[in-house]
Amino acid sequence: MTTRIPILAEITEANSILAENLRAAFAAEGVLVLNLMASPGAGKTTLLERSIAELNGALKIAVIEGDPHTSIDAERIDAAGVKAVEINTGGGCHLEARMIRAALGELDIAGLDLLVIENVGNLICPTGWDLGEDLKVILVSLTEGDDKPLKYPMGFLTADAAVISKVDLEPYVPADRSTMRENALTINPDLAVFEVSSITGEGMDRFLQWIKQRVADKRSRTS
Amino acid sequence: MHEMPVTQALLDLALKHADGRRITDVYLEVGRMSAIVPDSVEVFFQYLSEGTLAEGADLHFTIRPVEMTCADCGGEMDLSEWVTENPQVVMQQAFKRGCQCGGRNLRVSGGVSFGLVGIEVEDDGSD
Repeated sequence: MTTRIPILAEITEANSILAENLRAAFAAEGVLVLNLMASPGAGKTTLLERSIAELNGALKIAVIEGDPHTSIDAERIDAAGVKAVEINTGGGCHLEARMIRAALGELDIAGLDLLVIENVGNLICPTGWDLGEDLKVILVSLTEGDDKPLKYPMGFLTADAAVISKVDLEPYVPADRSTMRENALTINPDLAVFEVSSITGEGMDRFLQWIKQRVADKRSRTS
Repeated sequence: MHEMPVTQALLDLALKHADGRRITDVYLEVGRMSAIVPDSVEVFFQYLSEGTLAEGADLHFTIRPVEMTCADCGGEMDLSEWVTENPQVVMQQAFKRGCQCGGRNLRVSGGVSFGLVGIEVEDDGSD
């Protein structure tokens, strides 16, 4: 004889519970947490380097770097002047809440304004795993083609902001930023969309202003 | 490939609910836009469940279509007729077409998740 047990739970329930614990820990410290997601080579680390250069001093920042292998990215962030903890997933395609919990063993979040989690380069898998972040930011470079929001809608559906990067290359590629923006907003009309070049600095002010505002909002909710 | 950690999470969740009893069947609901491939879950489940109380359990998948809600009129669109088509193409068409009310603010309201609906376990004392 067998018995049917109804469950009705998300498969990633255990991850979600852990993520909620992390969210509470981040909230207690008033630190704003961003989950930065993009394809490999979209310019996540370069955007972070540029952002850190412009925000460091005004905000206390730390970074958790997720990569399948190597600590190249954490070294770049360290060189940019903020604390970085590397998570090597050993080939895994996304970060999970338990990995963030482990990384926090090497990172003191007390006094931080902003913690950026740079997810593994991948436009599909990271979108299904809550890391306890406040905001999901999806980065897509113009060189990837302006159809990407339509082809990989999950990330855009769940994100709070989309950053279109490498806009300085617009004259050299078939894609254009207005089509990318339109496609992103078609998938998710609530997205805040930014067009930036981490190399020339174009559009960075608006993006960083958005982050600063969110940091201030989070602080005011804590104090 | 990403089905492996997802399948491990599924196995952990099922075993927790089985509470020491042998699992014979696992009922799953896969959103058409969940980026989960049932065949891949099957393969990883066989491999990961070896030596556990879920070894040999049958997996039953129900595919849930993509559902969209219009933010303007509250109308719901069920894209079930396209359940066998590429959901990304279907969603792209739906987004471009908009709602019957003429609104363009469609939100995806279903068909993106992967859920464990239930399990069937052997009762105590049975073989």
